[in-house]
Amino acid sequence: MSDLDLLALHGLAVKKAGSPEAVAVVLGAEEAEVSAALDDAVAAGRAVGAKGTFMVSPPGREWLQEQYPTVFAEFRANPEASEAYERFERINRELLALFTDWQMMPSAGGERVPNDHSDSDYDHSVIDRLGAQHERAEKVLERFAALEPRLGVYSRRLDDAYEKVLAGDLDWVSGARIDSYHTVWFELHEDLLRMLGREREEAP
Amino acid sequence: MTAVADRIVVLDGATVPSREIVGNKGRSIAEMLSLGLPVPPALCLPIEECKRFHAAAGELDEEAWSSVLNGIAGIEAKLDRRFGDPERPLLVSVRSGAAVSMPGMMDTVLNLGITDEVEAGIARLSGDERFARSTHCRFVHEFGHTVLGADLDEPAADATPAEVREAVRRDTGEEVPSHPHDQLRAVIRTVFESWSSRRAKAYRRHWGISEDGGTAVIVQAMVFGNLGEDSGTGVLFSRNPLSGDREPYGEWLAGGQGEDVVSGTHDPAPLSALALEMPSVHQRLLEAARLLERENGDVQDVEFTVERGVLYLLQTRSAKRSPLAAVRTAVDLASEGAISPREALGRVSVEQLASVLAPRLADEVAAAAEVLARGTAACPGVAAGVAVGDSDAACDFEGDSVLVRPTTSPEDVSGMIAARAVVTEKGGSTSHAAVVTRALGRPSVVGVGEGVSAGLAGRELTVDGSAGVVYAGLLPTEEVDPAEVPGLEKLLGWAKEQCPVEIVDDDPDAVDLDADGVALDEGTPDPEELAARLRGAGAARGSVLATAEGARAVLGAGVPRVVRLPGQPAAALLLRLAQESAQVDGDTEEESEK
Repeated sequence: MSDLDLLALHGLAVKKAGSPEAVAVVLGAEEAEVSAALDDAVAAGRAVGAKGTFMVSPPGREWLQEQYPTVFAEFRANPEASEAYERFERINRELLALFTDWQMMPSAGGERVPNDHSDSDYDHSVIDRLGAQHERAEKVLERFAALEPRLGVYSRRLDDAYEKVLAGDLDWVSGARIDSYHTVWFELHEDLLRMLGREREEAP
Repeated sequence: MTAVADRIVVLDGATVPSREIVGNKGRSIAEMLSLGLPVPPALCLPIEECKRFHAAAGELDEEAWSSVLNGIAGIEAKLDRRFGDPERPLLVSVRSGAAVSMPGMMDTVLNLGITDEVEAGIARLSGDERFARSTHCRFVHEFGHTVLGADLDEPAADATPAEVREAVRRDTGEEVPSHPHDQLRAVIRTVFESWSSRRAKAYRRHWGISEDGGTAVIVQAMVFGNLGEDSGTGVLFSRNPLSGDREPYGEWLAGGQGEDVVSGTHDPAPLSALALEMPSVHQRLLEAARLLERENGDVQDVEFTVERGVLYLLQTRSAKRSPLAAVRTAVDLASEGAISPREALGRVSVEQLASVLAPRLADEVAAAAEVLARGTAACPGVAAGVAVGDSDAACDFEGDSVLVRPTTSPEDVSGMIAARAVVTEKGGSTSHAAVVTRALGRPSVVGVGEGVSAGLAGRELTVDGSAGVVYAGLLPTEEVDPAEVPGLEKLLGWAKEQCPVEIVDDDPDAVDLDADGVALDEGTPDPEELAARLRGAGAARGSVLATAEGARAVLGAGVPRVVRLPGQPAAALLLRLAQESAQVDGDTEEESEK
């Protein structure tokens, strides 16, 4: 088993479903190599694919769960990884609240209404918070990348999304169909949970 | 006289300096003072000083600093308090204030001037030791975070200032200064430095804002609603922000301070309580609100504090209002002559109008319906369909479906797009499902409880994403009668006068943009393609015409009629076209004024 066999399937699991190109972006790997690895995964019954979009199959999921404890044994045992993850969780809580504030703004009467982005002061204040969290996220990603260089890719992807937001492209805060800040952050979270063998805590 | 000591601007309302000199916040304080309104005294280090600071390699020179100290002495004299004096303590806030607001600037540090001795003094004056201690803790935390870059959790309710200080020291290796002057100087430096923060620079680069500017620094006395008798804090709306009714509306918290009213931790009384306790203060407050509303031509939301019987206005801004109130206040303000009918059209967003007119469940329908599940209302609106358990089923389903999942993850997004509504078992208003459905505009209810989805599979459901309830069956929704929305008919009348385009139910010769492949999808429609399709058309229809780009294209091509699609409210199409048309008129007027 090559590293990429495992990683390509792991990247696909993080993405849930996607093309070799999208998985290659998550892993920071060559598309051709990821594509070959995914074809191998299909042949081994660990993934299913149609029209260039792949998904992990149920046996593939089980296989991944079996592999993770060995493959990421060192990462899981490292106290630095757990500490960095604690920090990540704290940023995560702030970011989730921020995404809610971005989409639903407090209104007269206290209830929240969808943000129609007509109040640029309000949008600015949320983007400003995103900037502050982004700076924290960069620090925590440096720590992760020191342990697992592959994770450095997320730093660049988050940066891309944030730069687009700064340039006024508001969809890149939490747009669901693009690699928005929220999309990339969610994938990073999924990646870390899998590496560490933890469960997602849904926000209360 | 405004310029006391050469290097600072004393904000006293004698003159109103321009934004380019004192920034937005400085100007707003000066404007309020020039109207004779009571605002806590403040001084401003003008934008010029920021440039000088950077030219001097990040140093606030001694002359500028002694000007600041002179200004502080002026504030001390006005209030009969002293910076760092435990007997009569003066605390100040420091804010940045550029001419254009931008991300990355240092926002605010509150409660500068607090020390162990001052904390004890405030405890005596307020009779509230806990308040004094938490004020001190918050200052140390905020200073550590903002000035020293500490990354710490909010201090616990029972934390002591010494503990917070120690936590900052451990995290940054630096000390929070305990002398008021050192605190002030460090925060001023941080404001100026924030002008060249990475984020602010990136923002200016993106928007082509000159690097050759700067930010002002506003130092303002803090006032306290919890120091002694006849004190408190509150919020006043110059009109009712829920109904749009002309009566002022507000809340008053006797003995409250700062965030107490807004935070929801205390139970404020209605404004009438203030009228009973301090009638003259109440009177003055209402007059101030009327004045501010007239000056700004919009409903105001005013934060105020009363300290020992003296009223201070802390902030005023255009009030947030319900969609209903947006319609009514826009029409009322125009009828009163405060704004023009054309301005009134711009005061109601198409989304607000759509929300006012959105179909809803009639109360009696909701009351009689079987409730299958309750959860958190995550995205407003009502939609119905058959429950499907996964994304593939939603994508393949013919007819309307409701996606019901334990939780959602990125693999579910295609199903969320295909479904009319979404329900999840776990998660709250910040969960993935909530975030994504709001982005997609799908009514959703989240966190209905584990195991609920099994019982829903295959059933017909109605999801009320405004109330957070899932009902059995495909319930009828109720249309809103526009005549029952106060002000709406007048507003739509003005829209018709403004809008050169007629909205019709059908026209056999209409250009059908959806059929021509110019459907509203991801990304913005291409204006050139729209223009080409619409050139010479007698009428047009299409999903894209609900957008501002679509409306501009219709107006640009001079199309006389727009045919509404099912689901497109005629009023919303009309308002959008009227707003875009008013925009064009407005631009032309500005041109001719030049």
